[in-house]
Amino acid sequence: MKEKFEPNIIGFLCNWCSYAGADLAGTSRIQYPPNLKAIRVMCSGRVNPIFVINALQQGADGVLIGGCHPGDCHYERGNYLARRRMAVLKKLLEYTGIDPRRVRMTWVSASEGKKFAEVVKEVTEDIRELGPMQHFRRENKW
Amino acid sequence: MVDEKQLRDAVKKTISRDDVKYVVGYEKGTSGFLVSPTFAFTPGDADKFIFSPLCVNNLAVYPMLEDKPPLRKGEEPDTRKIGLVVKGCDSRAIVQIIQEKGLKREDVVIIGIPCTGVIDPKKIKEKFPGQMKNVDVKEENEKFVITIDGKIHKISKDELLAEKCKHCEYPAPVLYDILIGKEIKSTKKEDYKEIEPLEKKSLEDKWDYWEKQFERCIRCYACRDACPLCYCKECMVDLLDPQWIRRSVNLSENTAWNLLRAFHLAGRCIGCGECERVCPMDLPLMKLNKKIEKDIKEMYDYTSGIDAEEKPLLAMFKPDDPEEFIL
Repeated sequence: MKEKFEPNIIGFLCNWCSYAGADLAGTSRIQYPPNLKAIRVMCSGRVNPIFVINALQQGADGVLIGGCHPGDCHYERGNYLARRRMAVLKKLLEYTGIDPRRVRMTWVSASEGKKFAEVVKEVTEDIRELGPMQHFRRENKW
Repeated sequence: MVDEKQLRDAVKKTISRDDVKYVVGYEKGTSGFLVSPTFAFTPGDADKFIFSPLCVNNLAVYPMLEDKPPLRKGEEPDTRKIGLVVKGCDSRAIVQIIQEKGLKREDVVIIGIPCTGVIDPKKIKEKFPGQMKNVDVKEENEKFVITIDGKIHKISKDELLAEKCKHCEYPAPVLYDILIGKEIKSTKKEDYKEIEPLEKKSLEDKWDYWEKQFERCIRCYACRDACPLCYCKECMVDLLDPQWIRRSVNLSENTAWNLLRAFHLAGRCIGCGECERVCPMDLPLMKLNKKIEKDIKEMYDYTSGIDAEEKPLLAMFKPDDPEEFIL
């Protein structure tokens, strides 16, 4: 019997907004897919594109980056910088034939538990549709 | 056509200054269609300097390659300047490095050459295979004049011109201290025609194409070493902890390397084409660089290497940057 494909998604969530938003979704008992593995970073501006590519290499089928809404960044400009970086990276990935829907970015504030759950649902469904990431997965995982 | 006497005089004048350490330029090569970089430490060295359409190398790498060992006690740092002979594209690399504060403006003396296009070494080698003796190439009336064993070949410019020169918008140096000859204006326009067919393909076809290319990469890092803007003290591929990209040569690591190399040049690549020229496997690296250049031009209306006062693209932002991809 063929097993149903469960996507593996890495979430880089900013400490001040998205991570707190995910926390709120949890404490408010909102259901969302358990496919997202959250990694807390201090700011979305901390997310180096190398993290994204490395995640895709090591077995993630998708990457979600969560930051504060524009203007709300704890460090004033981190999310703006992340936005530019990810815009360029997504275009580059699309150009090399990797579906840009595998790398998503979202703004979730600490009070948007519901939005967080919806975003995770949407991303999970998208990636379930795309299937496993097979383009450049690392073969030796030792 | 560049007046070589004027160039040599300018080099002589520059190296005679007390505050100049050396001048980097081109000299006649030893074989085939080669031209090699050369250094002038004394005014006498200036006589070997040349400039011909064979001078493709980007000499802007040199100021960033210099070793700066820790000083001994009581030793004064060497603050002398470096002289550079630059074409239009090379000067943009210098501007970009100054913009990123890799160099100070007063660290370099720039001898600018208005360039009317250089020859692609791969193309000319194909045209004259097996040429061992060094050959001189001149430019006359929109034609390259190549003299081999007394025989004169006149070849139209389009045939031999390097790809980067076909759409060059800045043939004259953007920044210079001494200009050889007259300033020229470009009539060409960069329209990104080469990458368009690839852009229009479906995702699968694009990956098929790039998979074949990346599989061939042998990860010699020549692209990094020749790039004037890859001057990090420690490159991310050389890091052992964390080791982002493993040493093994396989599709996964090659893809990661090539994507990240291209990304690290986002908003910085000035399109000198050195990476593609030095690539022993002939990977179309400029197709990656040009794509990013096109995207940032569309999204942020930004061109690299023009204004040394501007902030680097990825270190600044505008509140109304495009964000239609954000959920």
